[in-house]
Amino acid sequence: MSDASTLIQRLMPERSLLRLAAFAIVVMIVFSVMSKPFLSVINFQSMGFQVAEVGLLSLAVMLSMLTGGIDLSIVSIASVSAIVTSQLFAATGASQSSAVTPVLTALFIVVGMLAGTAIGLVNGLLITRLHITPILATLGTMQLINGLMVAWTNGQAIYGMPDIFLAIGTGTVFLVPVAIIVLMAAALLTAVFINRTATGLRLKLVGANPTAARYSGLDNDRVLTLTYLGSALLASLAGIIIASRAASASADYGTSYVLVAIVVCMLAGVNPNGGYATVTGVIVAAFTLQMVASGLNQIGWNAFHYQIVQGVLLIAVIGLNTLSDQGVLSGRLGRPRLRRPPAPGAATSEPGS
Amino acid sequence: MTTVTSAARRFRISRLRGSNNEGVLVVAIAVLAIVVGLFSPSFWSVATLLNVGTNSLENVVFAMAVLIVIISGGIDVSFMAIGIFAGYSVIVLGNSTGIAADSAWLGFVIAIAIGLALGLLNAFAIAGLRLPTLIATLGTQGIIRGVMLAFIGRKVLPTYPPGLESLSTTYLFTDHAAIDTRLNVMIIPSIMICVAVSLMLRYTLVGRGIFAIGGDAESTRRAGFPVTGLRVLIYLMAGALAAVAGLMHVTQVRLANPYELVGGELDVIAAVVLGGASIFGGKGSVSGTVLGVVLIALIKNSLILLGVPGAWQRAAVGALLLIGVSAQAISAVGRRRRGTIVQEEEEAAA
Repeated sequence: MSDASTLIQRLMPERSLLRLAAFAIVVMIVFSVMSKPFLSVINFQSMGFQVAEVGLLSLAVMLSMLTGGIDLSIVSIASVSAIVTSQLFAATGASQSSAVTPVLTALFIVVGMLAGTAIGLVNGLLITRLHITPILATLGTMQLINGLMVAWTNGQAIYGMPDIFLAIGTGTVFLVPVAIIVLMAAALLTAVFINRTATGLRLKLVGANPTAARYSGLDNDRVLTLTYLGSALLASLAGIIIASRAASASADYGTSYVLVAIVVCMLAGVNPNGGYATVTGVIVAAFTLQMVASGLNQIGWNAFHYQIVQGVLLIAVIGLNTLSDQGVLSGRLGRPRLRRPPAPGAATSEPGS
Repeated sequence: MTTVTSAARRFRISRLRGSNNEGVLVVAIAVLAIVVGLFSPSFWSVATLLNVGTNSLENVVFAMAVLIVIISGGIDVSFMAIGIFAGYSVIVLGNSTGIAADSAWLGFVIAIAIGLALGLLNAFAIAGLRLPTLIATLGTQGIIRGVMLAFIGRKVLPTYPPGLESLSTTYLFTDHAAIDTRLNVMIIPSIMICVAVSLMLRYTLVGRGIFAIGGDAESTRRAGFPVTGLRVLIYLMAGALAAVAGLMHVTQVRLANPYELVGGELDVIAAVVLGGASIFGGKGSVSGTVLGVVLIALIKNSLILLGVPGAWQRAAVGALLLIGVSAQAISAVGRRRRGTIVQEEEEAAA
């Protein structure tokens, strides 16, 4: 990496966060003008319930992108933790409340999340031991796990969870949804992990330059395995929230969330080639996208319009970032554009990974 | 010393294996046919052959689109969205306006035009804005599917314009065993497309350029290839191929359902990767890809014959992808493990 690109990398965070904040404010103003109930407590509460699962899945994708990979199996992992937990409730008949229900609920959630996190270990081993690219490895496990879950549940949704479990996704504490509190706690832990621990620093190094990381004596395989474990852990937590909000678990829930999570990461300015990610950005972006979803819904647009908006946002945001990296948007407007990258180092911005 | 002997051994094995795993795939297909035939004798029949042909004739064209993109070092997840968009739109257009209603040919021409337009969207995002291909095509997938469902239609259409209606019942073979099994005449254009793509990749400057970009885009640029132009061309071709495959699918099932296809991308991507194409680009072949498509169609067909529930088919394709990629990756690692990076570079230079 040349000096120029590291400089850009250091300046980019602030700029992309500023741009994101501006975008969030514009979204809020536009929708509160277009729809009266947009700025109500109820609306923000309902957005809060929905944003938690999107936020957690986005944090999962962010972790994988930090090391220059991607985790496409997040939704399948979420369904594993949701289905294992609810199958346990169904098998033990624990949906009827009794004195031990809180203990059982906690136990089943832990087991479900362990099962989901185990898939992350599989991803990590496929990527590090067998040297499969993250795209293919996680695409394969996504399909494999999804098939297994559909087969296990016969494609049916599983019902029958105790009220205390449902409270995670639908309860509030002083008007704040419990799910949001879970999201914020997870975000805080993730932020501390990537910014304040040695392992977090290693993650960034491996993402920024795997060769340099290896030559500096880092165990890249260990770091990558940890990354996919972490991403699976976050996805498993999302699965619990999805199940508790829907009061059921199914292999078909949340299939559209992969695109949403990637859009959130791109809005947040996460570098898909590794090395840079911001938890704050991801959380702000998740809330912003949720505002877009809820606002569009209120002005009468449907899920398909929202899908178009997501796609356009995705391409517009990265397009904007790439163009501004090339200096097209700042200062060089009057001058002729360089048709070719000026230095060999700039070739790293090539697409195709 | 040891490197030399192991290199010689590797060379011999790789000859048997074929440059893109073709040998392994042929063996896998043969073993599968024998084993499944033992469990379910009705497997060895003309009907199986026709079923696999019916299944493969559209998937192989989708696979050609994916193959071109993967050889160039990219990955495309928008091709199914392009396919169903084009296929469904042609039916809607024929039904509502009568455009291209009487001729199936004209239907395919319109589909190709739609495919080129949608391919241009991918080209704009990838060659123009230089987005990573996975993220760009995920975005365009959302846009394309959203536009179709929001603005073109959401209904399942059972009636077709007369041209495509008659094509859908024009069969090349019909097997009158217990139940009638048929193979649509579209298998012929489907084979012709594979031959054309193979010739294009092997003998034209464009084809060699696609391999070169997949190998190293910067070197390709310095060798004088118009890299951006080639990238635009790659996504235009992929769009057109996906559109043709989509209309083939819609014609075959005789029920235009806009919710179909999207979500089934992995069947095709797995076939291409099993067929020896490298996700890093610069490697892949039409023959391997066709064998990969046939293998996956055969496995799905066998699972149905053996009475395995449909959900396991998804799991099987996922497992197959992981096994196929692992096998390739392990042989690559074996090569890497034998020397340090410096030695490897010396080997490469020699």
